Amino acid sequence: MLIDKKRDKRNKSIDKFFHGFFMAMAMLSASFIVIIVLFVFAKGISPFLPGYEYGQVNLFDFLTGTTYRQDQGIYGVGFIIINTLVCSFFALLISFPISVLTALFIGKVAPKKLGAAMQSIVELLASVPSVVYGVFASGVITVGVRQIASAMGIATFGGSSMLAVIILLAIMIFPTLTSMSVTAIKAVDKDLEQASLALGATKTQTNFKIVLTAAKSGIFAGAILGLGRAFGEATAVAMVAGNKLFGPTFNPFDITRTLTSTMLVGLKETTGLDYDIRFSVGLVLIAVIFISNWILNMVKKRVGRNA
Amino acid sequence: MSRNVKDRLLQASTYISSALSVIVLAAIIIYLVVNGVSSLSMHLLTGDYYASTANSGVKSDYVYNEPTASYDGEGYYSSKWGIAVEDIVTAHNDEELSVTYVDPNSPFAHMESLVAGQDGQDSALGVGDLIQNVYYEDASGETVFLSKVRMGDAENLIMTLDNEAVAIVSCNFEGLGGGIRGSIIATLYLIVISLVISLPIGIASAIYLHEYANKSKINKLIRQGIDTLTGVPSIIYGLMGVAVLFPVTQLVGATSTSILLGGLTLAIILLPTIISSTEEALIVVPQSLRDGSLSLGATKSQTIFKVVLPCAINGILTGVLLGIGRVIGESAALVYTTSTVISDNPGILTQGTSLSLMIWSIMSGEQPNYQLASAISLIILVIVFVINFIVKIIGKRLARSFM
Repeated sequence: MLIDKKRDKRNKSIDKFFHGFFMAMAMLSASFIVIIVLFVFAKGISPFLPGYEYGQVNLFDFLTGTTYRQDQGIYGVGFIIINTLVCSFFALLISFPISVLTALFIGKVAPKKLGAAMQSIVELLASVPSVVYGVFASGVITVGVRQIASAMGIATFGGSSMLAVIILLAIMIFPTLTSMSVTAIKAVDKDLEQASLALGATKTQTNFKIVLTAAKSGIFAGAILGLGRAFGEATAVAMVAGNKLFGPTFNPFDITRTLTSTMLVGLKETTGLDYDIRFSVGLVLIAVIFISNWILNMVKKRVGRNA
Repeated sequence: MSRNVKDRLLQASTYISSALSVIVLAAIIIYLVVNGVSSLSMHLLTGDYYASTANSGVKSDYVYNEPTASYDGEGYYSSKWGIAVEDIVTAHNDEELSVTYVDPNSPFAHMESLVAGQDGQDSALGVGDLIQNVYYEDASGETVFLSKVRMGDAENLIMTLDNEAVAIVSCNFEGLGGGIRGSIIATLYLIVISLVISLPIGIASAIYLHEYANKSKINKLIRQGIDTLTGVPSIIYGLMGVAVLFPVTQLVGATSTSILLGGLTLAIILLPTIISSTEEALIVVPQSLRDGSLSLGATKSQTIFKVVLPCAINGILTGVLLGIGRVIGESAALVYTTSTVISDNPGILTQGTSLSLMIWSIMSGEQPNYQLASAISLIILVIVFVINFIVKIIGKRLARSFM
């Protein structure tokens, strides 16, 4: 057979070109995370550097401050960090058991068709956009909170409150937690279950004691992901948080302020300290997510080892 | 407690938990339908958001004709002037007189604008417009001014016109406003811009990761970088958009935040989705197809473009659909990149809001507009659910395709 050397050579160089092209695109995709962190860092750190054009802000005061008033130029996010952590933690606390039980229902308890239907419902909940949850929260959850509060004789700010944020976040992270748990539960080794059943345990005992224990690591990973979602949830939370000027807030019926709501609310100009400081708040948000992920992953490793 | 009872209780708890999420989904849908369905209309989809005002006079060459047909729809009808009006309460709680019918022979259908700068242009009263005041000629030939107060309700207006007017002179009216046409257009722009940029980069990245990458350190790093993108909150993408991509849009002439900037930011948000759905489809393509193509003498890039990618088209389609859903639902990233100013005629380099961002705009103002927000939410939900449904069908087909 005659090999067309010229064509062969051309094909080879085309091949090389595409290899390079695909690799460049993959590197570009991967580099965005670096770009995001670098640029938000650069812009977020600028108000704390000497020579900042709108007046240098003290970094320590910023991180530990308990007042955030853009009208007076006081920017302290210490209490906002605490608010964010508290809201997300309680949301996880509510959502976690419900998600795990629902996941168990989908994966093991429910008849096949019912389980599939339930799975679809979880998927639908996952696809509801943040802002739609926000409309629902300000139309329904706040009203509920207001009624509960007035039944207990407490006045609220129209229902906007920490409790409303917690309930909203619990609903919003539910699909993430559930689908991660379903994946973990479905991946549990069948032999384990059968061994448990053969030893005389009932189906329910096996589900709760064997399956859940074996799926522990995956469920925990879901919780970490869900917590990250809760930290970063923005528009919906901003609609019901109420934006308190000082804090931290520990009364569930009082208004609160989270990192994301701080970044969104009152955004008007695109220059000046009030605008730049939002990048600093964003930087704090990245740090909070990163540090909490890091700590929880350490815990997860330890939990996994004990299994 | 006996084992049986305990088992039953535990099992019941899983049923209750599942029921809770069904209740939440039902509550969301019911709330949106109850509040939003009354606002759904053609006007909502095609109308302007901002009410337009007009001051129009009957054209000088108009000759009075009896209205052609009788009208028996809603509102009070003037058989003399061929116009029907009803009382409505707007979304802003104002009582208004809304036009429900204008006969083609009616003087109100033959009007031209009296506003300086637009004189002589056709400006007829249309269905949905809100009448503010009317000038008419009475039997003595005098021009009478019928103010909003003197018009009273729809019944009174029609009676006055029927009994006292011999000719219509001019009339002031407002468009209804509250439409979402501008936001729909802006959303379409955002979808097109983000996909055009995200698709090639995303597909190429997925091909590299699945077809080329060995297990070297740098490839692991690339994969880790892309995986980390998934966990970044969208509001952070928004910050990145203004900090990094704004200078890029300035190169093509943007002076402020713009739809283009929003689209570029969304393109990056979509990357992980596009990459993972393309890759999932590539995984399903059997290795034997690649081997067959290569052994017939095709080069690797020929194999990828002519054998592998056509097989992976379903996965790419899934990525596109999920991407569209994400663009429609995204709000936090756009607050920073397209601004929250609602625009009736958005362009690529001007500010504007997508449907989701419009909800944020009208909900975060002084007086939240729940009706309109629910109506838009309902539209978004229907689109997102349909997309979800199609993706599921494609997924099922994908799983079967190489069995």
